[in-house]
Order: sequence, then C-alpha cells, then structure tokens
Amino acid sequence: MGKALVVAWREFRHTAMTKAFMFGAVLMPVLMMGIFIVVIPLMVESNQTPLTGTVAVIASADVIGELEDAFADEADEPPTDAPPLALADPMAQSMAMIATVETDITIMAAHTADLADLKEQVRRGDLTALMIIDEAVITDLEGSVEVLVPGYLSPNHTDTLQSAARSAVVDTRLRRLGHEPADLHRLLKRPRTLALRLTEDGGESAENEAARRLIPMAFMMLLWVAAFTSGNYLLTTTIEEKGNKVMEVLLSAVSPMQLMGGKILGQAGVSLVMLVMYGGAGMAALFAFAMLDLVPMMHLLYLALYFIMAYFMIATIMTAIGSAVTELRDAQSLMGPAMLLLIIPLALWPIVGEHPNGTLATVTGFIPPLTPFIMIQRVTAATEPVAAWQIIASLVIGFAAVAVMLWMCARIFRIGVLAQGKPPGFMQLLRWVRMG
Amino acid sequence: MTSVISVRDVSKSFGPTRAVIDLDLEVPRGSLCGFLGPNGAGKSTTIRMIMSIFHADRGAIDVLGTSALNAKDRIGYLPEERGVYRKMRVGAFIEYIARLKGLPRKGLRSRVEQWLERVELPDARQKRCEELSKGMQQKVQFLSAIIHDPEVIILDEPFSGLDPVNAQLIGSIIEELRVEGRTILFSTHVLPQAERICDRIVMIDQGIKVLDGPIDEIRAQFDPRVIKVDPVEPDHRYDDVVGVAGVESRDGHLHLRIADDAQPTDVLSAVVAHGPVRSACIAQPTLDEIFIEQVFRSRGSDAAAETREELTHG
Repeated sequence: MGKALVVAWREFRHTAMTKAFMFGAVLMPVLMMGIFIVVIPLMVESNQTPLTGTVAVIASADVIGELEDAFADEADEPPTDAPPLALADPMAQSMAMIATVETDITIMAAHTADLADLKEQVRRGDLTALMIIDEAVITDLEGSVEVLVPGYLSPNHTDTLQSAARSAVVDTRLRRLGHEPADLHRLLKRPRTLALRLTEDGGESAENEAARRLIPMAFMMLLWVAAFTSGNYLLTTTIEEKGNKVMEVLLSAVSPMQLMGGKILGQAGVSLVMLVMYGGAGMAALFAFAMLDLVPMMHLLYLALYFIMAYFMIATIMTAIGSAVTELRDAQSLMGPAMLLLIIPLALWPIVGEHPNGTLATVTGFIPPLTPFIMIQRVTAATEPVAAWQIIASLVIGFAAVAVMLWMCARIFRIGVLAQGKPPGFMQLLRWVRMG
Repeated sequence: MTSVISVRDVSKSFGPTRAVIDLDLEVPRGSLCGFLGPNGAGKSTTIRMIMSIFHADRGAIDVLGTSALNAKDRIGYLPEERGVYRKMRVGAFIEYIARLKGLPRKGLRSRVEQWLERVELPDARQKRCEELSKGMQQKVQFLSAIIHDPEVIILDEPFSGLDPVNAQLIGSIIEELRVEGRTILFSTHVLPQAERICDRIVMIDQGIKVLDGPIDEIRAQFDPRVIKVDPVEPDHRYDDVVGVAGVESRDGHLHLRIADDAQPTDVLSAVVAHGPVRSACIAQPTLDEIFIEQVFRSRGSDAAAETREELTHG
C-alpha cells in the first residue's frame, strides 16, 4: 500500500499541481463563463446599431396608423422583458433577449403605382424598407405581408420590421371589430404562476421549475466532467509511461497492481478536486440566489456515492485502454465504443429528468456503467422519491460492477503495460482478461 | 559460494520464436558477471525473466533465494529500454524511484545530490529530464537503478549510448560497487568492455548458453598457446627456437605456436634471448575470439563470420 501511495501522490502532484491543470481545469472554465456571461453580450450590445430611416408602406390608412403607433411606442419605450412589438417567433425573441433594437422609423404611405420606383429606392438604401400589406390579410385572414429590405439590412432589423408589420395587421383587425388593441394585449397578458410543492412533512415549498429541471442535469454533468477529466488524465499518463519506456523501470520497483492502484487513487484525488471546485462554485451560486434549499443534504450524499462509482468505472475503462496501446491515436479505436456508452446518459437527460421514475430511467439506472449517471439524475429530479430499494439495488449493482471492472482492468493492465507493437482489438483485450 | 541469482532449466518462447532454451545460470554472491551475446541472443529476455517482468514458460528462477517480485527493494535494475518522465525534474525523478524502492524521504535529497556529483551531473537536479542529453539521461537512469543501495544490480546494456569517457565513469562505479560486495549481472554485446571489468562471464547465442565460468578459467580453457612477438628486425627468423612449433605472420605481428610439451614462459624467455624485440608476450584469447570460436563450433563458419562482423561493428 505504501508504494501505491507514493505512485498516487506523484500522479496527483504531477496532474493537479501543474500550470496546465490550473489553466485547463480551473482558469479556462472561469474564462469561458466570463466570456459567455459578460463579454459576448457586451460586445453584441456595443455592435447593435439602431433601426432608423423611412419605411414606405402600401396598405390601408388604418394599418399605416397602427404601424406608426407601434414604432412610436417602440421609440418611447425600448422593449424590455415583454417586447411590445410581440416578436412572436422564438428566434426573434432570443435575439431580442441578447440585444434589444432601438428604432427611429418614419412611416411613409405609398401607392402600388410607384412600386418599381419604391423598390429601386430600397435597393439604393434611400428607404429602409417597403411593406406591402394586402387588404385580404386584414379582412379574409389570407395572403401575406411582404417586407422588402435592402441586401445589407441585418437579420435583427429585418425581424423587427416583420414583427412590427405582423402586430399592425393584428391590431388593425381588432380595431375594425371595435376592440382597443392595448386593452386586449393587457387582457391577454399571462399571469405569473407559482408552483408550491406540498412536502411530506406538511410544509409547502415554492420552487423554480427551471432550476429544478436543470439541477439533475447539473449533478450529472458534475459527475461526468469530474470523472471523465481524470479518466482522460489516466489514459494519457499511462500511454506516456509506456511511450517513454519508463514503465519497465517502474515495474522493477512496484507490482503492476501497485502501479495501477496508485495511478487510479492519485487521479481520484484530481477528480475530487474538480468535483469540489465545480460543485462548490455551483453551491455558492445557489447560495447567492437564495436557492440553496433546491439541494438537500441527501442529494450531496448521493452525489458522493455515485461519484465514487462513476469515477472507478471510467477510471478502469481508461486505464485498461491506456495500458493496451503505446500511442494516443491507437487509443481512438478502443475509445469509440466506450465513449458511445458514456454519451448515453447525456442523451437520456431530457427523458430521465422529466420522468425520473419512468421505465426507461428505472431500467437504465440498473445498467453499469450508466448506473451512476442515470441514478444521480433520478434521485435529484424525482418529483416523487425514487424507491429506497431501487437506490440500494443500484448501489449494490454499481459497486459490484466496479469490482468486476477493476478485476478486468487489472488483468488487462498486467499484460498491456509491457505489450508493444500493434494495438490490440476489443477481442484481444477480452483474451488478455482470460490470460491475465 | 552461494548463488544470488539462480536460473534453472528456463525456456521462453514468443509465438514460434524460441528466445531462451533450457538455460542454466548461477551468479555467485559478490561477483561481477558479464552476460554476453550478440543482438537478439536472448539476454534481455533472460534478464526480464530474472526480474519477473516476463514469466518463464518452463524452469525456475530465484533472486536472493526468492522471486524477484518479493525482493524488488534489494535489486537495482537498469532495463535495456531506457525511460524517464520527460517533464519531471531530475532530482524528483531519482527520488521518486528511490521512494518506490523503499527508501525513506529523510536524507534522500542529499543522497541524490551526492550521486549526481559522483556521475558528474552536479547541476542537473533542478533540470527537467527532457533538457538532458541522451548520455546524461542514461546516467540519471543508472543512478535510479543503484540509488537505493541494492544487494543485487542487474544492468541491461549499461554502456550503450555512452561516450568512452562516460562509459569509463560508469564502468568504474560498477567496479566500486563490486568491491563493496554487491553482486552485479550486466549484459552487453560489446565484449572488450566486459573483458575489462568482469570476473565471470556467461555467453549466450540464439537462446542457448555457450559458455559459463570465471573469466580466467575460460581464458585458460581457450589458451591458444601462442607467443606474439614484434622483432626489431622484420626478417628475423624464430623457427629454430626450442619450443616453437610453427610461425605465422598475422595482424602485423609474428605468432609463434608453442609446442605441446613446452612451457610458455620458457619459450618466451628463449624468444627474447634469440634477438632484439620491440615486444613479446604470451597471447591471451580475447572474448571476441572465444565467442567466435564457440559460434563456429555450434553454428558453422558462416554464422561465425556474421558474428565476427556483428562484434566488430557493435
């Protein structure tokens, strides 16, 4: 055990206490988050030019009036959380969330007879746009609205013009039926809802549904990233030791089992550092938004248990593959099937998150190496608790699988670390398991 | 004399290739044994089996009375394929291997510094391994094999890649370790080097042992009974010297064959008295010559010629 600990400490020290780790695993994610949260919106904002100029409109007078009102409102009150231009399509809404468009538009009534000339003016850029709103769109709810814009107009500005035209059409219809559009918009405004969950202890808890949906995903990603990053380090360091020919020196001092055990233990420390670091950042964020009650203590206990399981499962796969090849590119063919298997929990997230006690979630929760990734989603997502027997069974099955995978990995490692030449295929690895 | 390394009737094959065949080998305590043979003879395979890195297909191997697996901390091993952690600092690398060999942390740094001084790398401790030349890396690897003061030292081609100065330095350390009582087995295909420092040799060819014993006994066994003489007058004749059975001119010297019933020292005195000489000595067989003769016996003249070529050009 003493020698395995010496190996473990070197493995930990030369992975976690390096500039590369500090940059790749700590600074890089922080930088990326900073870029996405602060820098990109700022840059988008700074690049957003107002929509200005004259828009010629071929339509009935009341439609033109609605358009003038719409743009006048827009200029007075730039769109905030509920755009008055009712950017209906999701794409436009998301764009509007990134950067709202300021407008300073003059509406000019035009006639069909001047169509060719108007188009030419749009083409030249003298007009910002030309809208042709057929009367049939108002009266018969048929036909379409044409918005002609110059080639250079940005998609965001084009969306704004289209939305304005759509709103004007709807408001005109309402007004012709004797309604005040503003009143109807106010009436149609959907109220905020508050979901209160009645807990078993007789209390009520108000929960943020979005956060509730994201938390299982966050738990699984935390597990996945922490375990997988260390697994990757295990793969590369094992290949490096084989490639550098230092393996034989090591094996003259320690047994293959001590070496493998030490490496896995050392990288477990690295993985734990990442788990605590990212998990801690997440908890701090929840604390800052007073949402810490979304993560009860029990979830953290489950996280610890399933983390151990997930780490050892990935570590054994990566160590076995690393020991079998001499170059990183040779590992790709063996990594393919393993990656495919480990991607499954990510793909199943929407289903497991929505139906944590459904058949798919229940069954896949008992299939290693999916077990820890599926189960952590189930236990943190369940609107109704996962049955205790299922949690216990998943732990028993999972840790039994860890024992079997460790055993298989040890047998592959013992042969693989000294094997040179052509990398083995999957069947060859199974033969090594039998021989080892 | 007790054997520290004992190999009994060991065979090893890799697929259809028989790497080692029925090998017996005993290395007595305190000896410096050269394990010799051309490339591909089976030396490294045998050494790896001794180290329990490979398992023998058949036979038994003991090191210090047990398996090498149980005596790793008492054995120093320099493998044929050298390796270091490229990004690791030299001092940290040697300390790491020493810790794996069971040395306590206390006092380790000064021990490493002393040894680095000894191999003329006093400023290397803080350098990364990748910053060292190949020869320097080799010395670092050599240190990592002996840093834990092992009873048995097994070195696979310790001189390959070293320049003559560094080869001599490592050779002198190996001799010192022998004097201190360590048992040393080292393999090489460069026979003159082994000839200089070994007190015992084992020769292997195509997986089969062809020679084994103390170097003096082997030399006596292969004594050519020749006096090598370099006369001042090139035309000087020695046919009439008592005890000389024949004369042959070879390699710029005269080779006088000693008669079966004559004493070599008596013939040498007679030769010196016969006329002025620049040099005269009783010829000793070189390991190269002995080895080629053995190959000739077992594999025929063509193979012996190939072996001569291999030994000449390394």
